[in-house]
Amino acid sequence: MKYSNPALFRAHSALGICLAVAAMASPAHAAGVAAGTMIENTATATYGSGPATTTIQSNTVTVKVDELLDVAVAGLTNTTVTAGATNVVLAYSITNTGNGSEAFELTADPAVAGNDYTVTVQQLVVDTNDNGIYEPGVDLVLPAGSATPAIAADSSLRIFVIVDLPAGVTDGQSSQVRLTAAAATGTGAPGTTFSGQGEGGGDAVVGASGASASDLDTLLATLASVTLAKAASIADPFGGTQPVPGAVVTYTLTATVSGSGQAQDLRITDAIPSGTAYEAGTLKLDGTSLTDASDSDAGTASTSGIAVELGTVAGGTTKVVTFNVKIN
Amino acid sequence: MKSNWMAALASAALLALSPTMATAQTAQPIELKGDVKVSKLVVENGKERQVLSEPKVVVPGDRLIFSTSYRNNGSETVRNFIVTNPIPNGVMLAPEGAEAHSVSVDGGKTWGKLASLSVSNGDGATRPAVAGDVTHVRWVLPEVAPGAEGKVTYNAIVR
Repeated sequence: MKYSNPALFRAHSALGICLAVAAMASPAHAAGVAAGTMIENTATATYGSGPATTTIQSNTVTVKVDELLDVAVAGLTNTTVTAGATNVVLAYSITNTGNGSEAFELTADPAVAGNDYTVTVQQLVVDTNDNGIYEPGVDLVLPAGSATPAIAADSSLRIFVIVDLPAGVTDGQSSQVRLTAAAATGTGAPGTTFSGQGEGGGDAVVGASGASASDLDTLLATLASVTLAKAASIADPFGGTQPVPGAVVTYTLTATVSGSGQAQDLRITDAIPSGTAYEAGTLKLDGTSLTDASDSDAGTASTSGIAVELGTVAGGTTKVVTFNVKIN
Repeated sequence: MKSNWMAALASAALLALSPTMATAQTAQPIELKGDVKVSKLVVENGKERQVLSEPKVVVPGDRLIFSTSYRNNGSETVRNFIVTNPIPNGVMLAPEGAEAHSVSVDGGKTWGKLASLSVSNGDGATRPAVAGDVTHVRWVLPEVAPGAEGKVTYNAIVR
């Protein structure tokens, strides 16, 4: 009698990718009065009293407010992802904390110190309709090296970074991606001035942030793996365990799902070995009988083999299928 | 001796706060000149020093010092000399030192020290006024003798 090899079918172990969007980081407080605002001051003096009161005015002094270049970045995604996943969406929010409209150049760096694995950055995309959902065809793709559209002072833009995981990632490994936003007018030490380049016609001055900021999103990989073990026990007609004609062989198939993910569409099948015949009605899952007929329960059995549909099974779970055959 | 301040006065301001202008401007003896400087704290040899400079580049958070200089070029003592400065759009009176000024928080109708003033907070109640509420600053000099001159200043922060 030959044992046949049971087969295990598993659909791509896809853990639902949840865009774990943390509460939108509240934008940092904007730097006050708008770039280009004219501050004007005229003093007035009076003297004397009654009908002899005189009023005079001084000259007007005028100061134009220049543009302050400041930015803040918040990483919005800290989530689990299945090893091998592609088109994973990482969300970030860019806030113009300066006082004039400004575009920002973006850099997504997947090689962050401490990463267990490094993702590949595929695209940077602007959440054009600001709904927090990556919608290809609706959201604006930023070609490599290009800047965001201009962001008004004290306003934010949400950015998606689309990444693919590399091969060979194991359960529990983590990776971070850093998104940096830099003011298109210029960056540098606070106080650095770009003459005449300010919104409103004045100068642009680098603010306390250096006109550049960055933050991290984190991906924790999960991988569910399944192993299958098969055992057989024999009961012969004479009370012994000899594999003789008439002996009943009980097969026990044990599927073990390990890892922090889930195995989806898990299915155990086995063929009835030649030289034996399936004993009707002996198919069981975790000790519960399953009908041989193809119906609403998980199992089907026929003269050629058995099949049990287990569906989605979480890591750390064991499923046991048993069935009997009689040696011809 | 006429200085070129008179020329500056003649070509003055856009904002007429009071309609009662003196009729004989060329005869009136007081010169009034406004100025503004940016104030920065510079650390030199471990000590902090205040440096005033022309306001070339100004951004929110910067400190400005507005000054008004006056001089009595006439031969008579001028009495009840009041200099009023409206706080311009886009700046606020700096909190440090605000308590010493005579200020208004209602557009120049009433005056007092900041600690004695209050503002309404929108829903009927009032709260103590703070430096950011000040709309005008003024200085009252009982008299300015012939030939006397002086300068009044206030500190402001660009909003």
